[in-house]
Amino acid sequence: MTDRPNAIPRKLTANVKAAGCAAKLSSAELSQVLHGLPRHECKELLTSIENFEDAAVYKLREDLAIIQTVDFFPPVVDDPYLYGQIAATNALSDVYAMGGRPLLALNILCFPTCDYPLDVVHEILRGGGDQVAAAGAVVAGGHSIQSSEPVYGLCVTGIISPKEVLTNGGARAGDRLVLCKPIGTGVGLLAIKAGLLSQAAEQALIKGMTTLSTSTLECARAYNLTAATDVTGFGLIGHLHEMAKGSQLTVRLNADAVPLLPEMLALAEQGFVPAGAYGNRKSFEQFTTYINDVDLSLSDLLFDPQTSGGLLLALDKSQVEDLLRSLKKVGIDAACIGEFLDGKSGVVEVVSYGKNS
Amino acid sequence: MEKTVDLRGLVCPEPVLRTKKLLDDASVAKVEALVETEVNVNNLQRLANSLKLRFQSTAENDFFRVVLERPATASDTAGAAATHEHETAQTMQTIASNVGTVVFLPKDKFGDGDPEFSANLLNLFLQTLLQSGHKPRAVLLANTGIKLLDPDAPTLKVLNDLKDAGAEVLACGLCVEFYGLKGKIPTDQITNMFAICEFLMAADKVIQP
Repeated sequence: MTDRPNAIPRKLTANVKAAGCAAKLSSAELSQVLHGLPRHECKELLTSIENFEDAAVYKLREDLAIIQTVDFFPPVVDDPYLYGQIAATNALSDVYAMGGRPLLALNILCFPTCDYPLDVVHEILRGGGDQVAAAGAVVAGGHSIQSSEPVYGLCVTGIISPKEVLTNGGARAGDRLVLCKPIGTGVGLLAIKAGLLSQAAEQALIKGMTTLSTSTLECARAYNLTAATDVTGFGLIGHLHEMAKGSQLTVRLNADAVPLLPEMLALAEQGFVPAGAYGNRKSFEQFTTYINDVDLSLSDLLFDPQTSGGLLLALDKSQVEDLLRSLKKVGIDAACIGEFLDGKSGVVEVVSYGKNS
Repeated sequence: MEKTVDLRGLVCPEPVLRTKKLLDDASVAKVEALVETEVNVNNLQRLANSLKLRFQSTAENDFFRVVLERPATASDTAGAAATHEHETAQTMQTIASNVGTVVFLPKDKFGDGDPEFSANLLNLFLQTLLQSGHKPRAVLLANTGIKLLDPDAPTLKVLNDLKDAGAEVLACGLCVEFYGLKGKIPTDQITNMFAICEFLMAADKVIQP
């Protein structure tokens, strides 16, 4: 990644205020914006907008539904090819989070062509296209406009059998939670800009953001998943809250077991915490209990907005060990980070049971 | 040496990065930074805590004036008293910023029944707390509660385990003296009524069995 020639006159991230999914509107802002807008009921629509699902699912036939999703953000890194790859991995992730298979994608591009040479755009689109191809889907076109800040992403269409749709809801009391990528990308992207990451930590961060969830989902499909989402802009706690609310249960999160990207804890401790993490804390703190019993740097990471984060899967506790083993076989370092309990709907209870409980 | 920097108009992570770089120079004793957003202030507060610096933030018209200052060292003219004062201030800062659950034990028993049975119950409570996965921020011992830290007390082990798990286990100094346990309880676990009061006031939740 670092040996790729990078001859652009201006850094892609130079004027970007919030990188990646940290650029999202906060959950509280979004609720306010959506409040009072007419809701169109439709029996073919299998997902509800209030549940903040990862993608829309529309039933075409008894045995076939389409999954539609769109995701885009300003540059997260200065390397345009890598930026394209990360944006595409992130957009495709929402299809996997619903349990589906991506088929085709359309590029969305806003770009100030006066500020950067055109081959920068070319590289972004090449990065995105390569990743879509790696997911077994095709780029079928797109749309581009001039803008003052670069923005890139994709609209992705996938398919699924309606019976196999995985939503935020559906988890049962006693089900365990498995997280399939380490967290800390929001802090990591700030640290890259600050030039504070070691090469190993930078590689781990980039590997996380460019790993497609294709094989993770393929593996996990062999088990009886009861709910799923991917961890993105709302941070781990925000997405746990959405799952807990969707399933009308409490989630107990074992903070000690959450896999963290290397060096992120120390960087958060020193104040490299993105605005989105503070926004998430503000939005979701009210749904957490005992969050202040963990160190501030760790809780900052639990609220840290993730770009192209991992799948968060719910399944019966009897299958957890087998799932973790088969994920390990395909090179995915996943961890059991908690469980669902009968309790107040939407609450995330933070505990510290140690690494392997 | 003191430095003043205007960091307004810079996007993250520049404000915290530039402040950190100034403080990497050990000859800089104090940095005054002007920043625009609350996020900048919060990040600088984290930086100050991680470097064990004094931190102060004042809201001006449309910006914040943040001061990060190295504490006086013991070799300074003010001497040990200033260091102690600083340490107290530092503890208070931790208390103000992030206190979760506090367990308050003002006696060495759980309830008011048979004395031996009630003492065993308290031991059982502490064991259960340790295994529950909940990690209290502090366990405060007062009055006969300080006897739980007696080297011969059966509760010493579980209290040390809670300490190892990250809880501050602190005993009231007046009580330690009154019950004649001075010298038997580590000095770094002895605190004063001021700190006890602050912990109890700042806690999200106080558990008193």
